[in-house]
Order: sequence, then C-alpha cells, then structure tokens
Amino acid sequence: MTSTQPLTVGVVGAGGIAHPHLAAWRYLGVPVVVHSDEGAAAAARQYGARSVAHLDELLGQCDVVDVCTPTFTHHDIVLSAAAAGRHVICEKPLSHTRHEAVEMIEACAAAGVQLHPGHVVRYFPEYVAAKTAVDAGRIGAPAVLRLTRRGARPERSWFAESAKSGGILIDQMIHDFDFARWIAGDVTQVYASVVGSAPGPTIGIAVLTHSSGALTHLVGGWGHPEEKFRTSFSIAGAHGLLRHSSTEAESLSWSIPGASPARGELIPLGPRGRSPFVAELGEFLASCSGGPTPRITAADSLAALAIASAASRSAETGLPVRLEEGVL
Amino acid sequence: MKKLRVGIASFAHVHASSYAAILRDRADVELVATDPDALTAPPDEVRGASLATELGVRLVPSYDAMFSEGLDAVVVCTENSRHRDVVEQAAEAGVHVLCEKPLATRLDDAEAMLRACAQANVILMVAYPVRFHPGFCAMREAIQRGDLGRILAITGTNNGQAPLASRRWFLDPELAGGGALMDHTVHVADLLDNLLNVSPEQVYAQVNRVIHADEVSVETGGLLAMTYANGTVATIDCSWSAPSSYPSWGGLTLAVEGDLGSARLDAFAENVEVFDDRSGGLRWDAVGVNLDALMLDEFLSCVRSGRSAQPDGDVGYRTLQLVLAAYESASSGHPVMMTGP
Repeated sequence: MTSTQPLTVGVVGAGGIAHPHLAAWRYLGVPVVVHSDEGAAAAARQYGARSVAHLDELLGQCDVVDVCTPTFTHHDIVLSAAAAGRHVICEKPLSHTRHEAVEMIEACAAAGVQLHPGHVVRYFPEYVAAKTAVDAGRIGAPAVLRLTRRGARPERSWFAESAKSGGILIDQMIHDFDFARWIAGDVTQVYASVVGSAPGPTIGIAVLTHSSGALTHLVGGWGHPEEKFRTSFSIAGAHGLLRHSSTEAESLSWSIPGASPARGELIPLGPRGRSPFVAELGEFLASCSGGPTPRITAADSLAALAIASAASRSAETGLPVRLEEGVL
Repeated sequence: MKKLRVGIASFAHVHASSYAAILRDRADVELVATDPDALTAPPDEVRGASLATELGVRLVPSYDAMFSEGLDAVVVCTENSRHRDVVEQAAEAGVHVLCEKPLATRLDDAEAMLRACAQANVILMVAYPVRFHPGFCAMREAIQRGDLGRILAITGTNNGQAPLASRRWFLDPELAGGGALMDHTVHVADLLDNLLNVSPEQVYAQVNRVIHADEVSVETGGLLAMTYANGTVATIDCSWSAPSSYPSWGGLTLAVEGDLGSARLDAFAENVEVFDDRSGGLRWDAVGVNLDALMLDEFLSCVRSGRSAQPDGDVGYRTLQLVLAAYESASSGHPVMMTGP
C-alpha cells in the first residue's frame, strides 16, 4: 500500500454511527463500499458509496475496514478483517468484554494491521482545547474533574442489553473514562453506581481515583427520547479551572412557540461546521497510509475498557474496585 | 414590639460580618458582639475592635460579659471546634442559639451541644442558609408533589476558593476539623437530608491535596458518593477548587434526577457580570435574595414565637456524621456503613 494511491474504506454496518462516518468519508473524498445486514443499499445511495452483499466481498474490495456494527459483533468482524490483512477502524467500545478486546488487539498485531478505536470525543474541539490547555500547564496539575454526558436513550434494543453493549458504563461513559485518563492519567480505583431503567432514565455515576492523586466524578445518562444531547466538563487544577457546557456554548438557539420539541440527538456532530468525525477518520486513514500514530490507540481503548469494566463490577457489588497493576 | 437582644459570639467565621450587618440594620434587634479570640488570629486579619468599628457594632470583651447582658439569642461564629463551649454557655444562660456549620468537629461535642440545648429548652439552629433559597424551596415542593417521580440520583457541588487570604484557621485541622471535606460537604448534605428525609446507608469518599499542595496540610479536593436504602444515589463535590481569579467566592449546585424528570439548582446563578480591569477581570455581583437575611429572619421569628427552628441541631448532627464517615472512607478506601443517630 502506498500513500500515492487513495485507500478504499469498507464500512460495515449502516445504523446509527455509520451515518456520520459515511458523511465524513464522503467529505474526505474517500471511495467507500458498504456492507450491512440491513440498510446498506440505501446508505450507499445516500452517501455516494457502493454496497456489497457479503462481508467477504467488502474485505476483498477495501484497504481499511470501518466497523460500525453493534458492539457484540465487533470481535468477529475485526478478526475477519485482520485475517484478510486489512487495517481496522472499530467504533468504541472495541468490545463489551476485556478478553474479546485483547483478542482483537492481538489478532491485528499478529496480522500486522493497524487497529484504531473510534473514541471520537478526543476529536471534539472543546475536548481538544481542554487537553491542550492542561498540557500547556494553564491550570496546573489536574485535581478534581467533573464530566457529564446526557442524551436520549439509544433506540436499538441491544444497547439496553448488558450482555451485548455492556450497559451505560461501558457503552456511553467509556467516552469520559477515556477522556479522564487522557487528562489526569491512569486510574487506580473505581467506584460506580447505575440507577433507573427504561422507560425512565438510566443514570451512571462513577468516582475515579487516578495514580496522580487526581479525582474524577462522572455522570452519564440515557433519558427520554426528546432529551437533548449535552455534555459538560469542569477540570480544576492546582492553579486554574477549565469549564465547558455544550448547552451554554451554542452559537444558535431557537424559541418557536407551539412547535413540538425536536427529537433528541443521538449522535452529536460537535460545534457547528466542525465535524469531529472528519478529524478522527482523517487521522486514522492518514495513519493507515504511513502517517503519524493517531492521538488514541488501541491500548488507550483497552485501558478505558478496563476502567469501565471495573466500574461495572463496582456497580454490581457496591464496593470500590482496584485496577490491577499492569492492566493499563 | 420589644427588641430582641442578640449577640454575635466571635468574628472568627467569615459569615460573622454578614450576620452582623443584617442584624445591625434590623429595627427589632439590639446587637452586641464579642471576639475574645481575636488575639489568637494572625495579626493581619481584621477582627475584634477594628472589625466591630468597621461594622458599627458594639463590642464587649468576653463571652461572660456578653451573656451577662440578658441575651435572647446568640449567633455562634467561633472556629468550628470552639462551638461547643460557647453553645453550652448559651444554653446555661437560657439563650437561643444559631450555630455556624459544621455543628462541631466531633460527634461527642455535637451530642453535648444537643443535650445542653434540649435540657435548657432553647433553640439550636444550624446555619445552613441555602435551605432558605427560593429555588431550593420550589425544587423541594416539586419533589414532594411527585413532579420528578422517583428520585434516582442527586449530584451536588459546593466548590469555593480555599480560605488562604483570610480566616486561615479554616486550614487548621485542630480548629476546623479538617479541610474542604469538613468545610463544604455539610451544606449539600443538609439539602439532601431535607429532600430525601432519610440518612444515607453508606458513604464512599476520596480526597486529595493537589490544589494548594505546598500551602496547606488539609485536603483541598474531595468527592463523596452516598447510597440510600431505597436505591437513590447521591454525590457531593466538596472541593476548594475555585481559583483565586474565579468571579466569586464559589457556588453551590444540585442536580436531581427522577424517573419522570429532572431539576437543577444553581444557588448563586442570579448575578450581574462585571468586567473590572482594576480588580482582576470578571466579577459576578450577586443580585439574588440574601440567604443569610432569610435564615436570620426565621431564627428570630422562632425565638419570638417559641416555634422549633429548622435546620435544627439534629440535622447538624446527621450531616457531621456523614462527614466523619466520609473521612473514615477516604482513609480506608472502602465504603463506610452509616449507623443511626
């Protein structure tokens, strides 16, 4: 593979996360083939791609596989892609279980292909700005972080099945577990709770203790269908404070009396005019063509999964869970 | 209407000035203050006679002198660990008490204060002014009506600047009973107690000293997570995490999640933004109700009528119990079961 020839991307899946990915690939001018159990032809039409009927066909026609299927199917597809010698982009979480994620990482390493986990939060401009400010020493050593992430409950039923998605701690809060670790370093102890169930909201709450001494408080929520997607962070450091709230940092807002509330936004596209998916997938594709290592690696994703898995154990037992040495 | 004779016992607490100014301006109050421990404070802190003059408040030299004036009520603003002696003296003199928070730094002190006031049949109220916030009252009514459904989770924050600039006793473990965890947990704990009407079963806490690590010996950061018998979970961020350039002293927020809806209180959101180059940039000038004034009004109204006053010493005791259990958890790394009072 040389960097002079444009790579072809094979998108597997045509559901929720596939849409912003397909839109980003089209924006980047990348040739795309799509395969999915359902909806591939329509998605291909919508985004100017080709659809194929079988995974094997897709693997035969692309250089990079972009896995956008439900979490519980990631493992088998990634192993097939690795066996076919294709680089892999895999939506987060890599898997809902640690041992599957480890197998995926090992299979890709053994096949000599790259594996890029889709933790798109690291590409949202506000989270990038926070990381840049912390790294520049503008608030000093991180001390106490508060991270929140709220939105509508995902429509597809597999999200609610812990055996398929891992539940809110692993599916949704892994974004902020990863961000917390990006900002404040490795985590030594986790305490978490999950309350509520459909049709009401499900709320996950976690307290992380980092090896640096920093503490992180996280809240994740899946709520009513019309609940607006929103995130916030507050990062207190030794001599400063960083804060952002997506609801307070919007450049456009509406008030239309009598209009019914808009449906909740399941997949945020970030501040207007700047798609974090374009930044993310562009960085991954460049790496597949010999470019620099992306800001998020499979090892980072595994570390975030270790935190999320520990949080799940804590929520089940009501006890704090220490992360094993060497896991991270 | 007969004037109430009200005393302020010590200017140690930062809120003493606010209470003194409010009471001084009330037509139904005759105010006297004493600050005998002013000499133990660092010389650069404005206390004692100079603060009394600044505030226009009459100062007497000792607690004995103050209580000998036949007070109706006293506001206790000593250092935390010195509350007990003054409260016991007030009870003995038959004087109603409004005591700064936390009620005490040790449970045996708190028990003694509750006992003394009960035996003397005087009010023991604890200074939790956010309890009087109209937004909080509306939130409590909505919850009681069932508007939010079953309460799943409450996340509270009480963050502020570390007390480095003045009243440095807040950083002395002996006088303050700890750091941010002791200072800032109890306000939110009181609101949770009032909203849920039950004490938590279990508390997990972690603390650190990343902020001002070189300047103080107490914790400056802390997180608590409580679980309740009915499955509700609640958390408190009690950190002194507002930098010195923050536009105000800090703030308090409370987010309540029910299965039917949610509500969020930002108790000090009502302000005007002032950009002032000479005082370091953005400042938030509060325009909301004066919570101290509402609290003092309720206290004095109870003193006149003999009604029992809320927040009372019992909730002061329960919130102290939570703080002490949180210290135990932070020290062991394990959740601590709460035992009943």
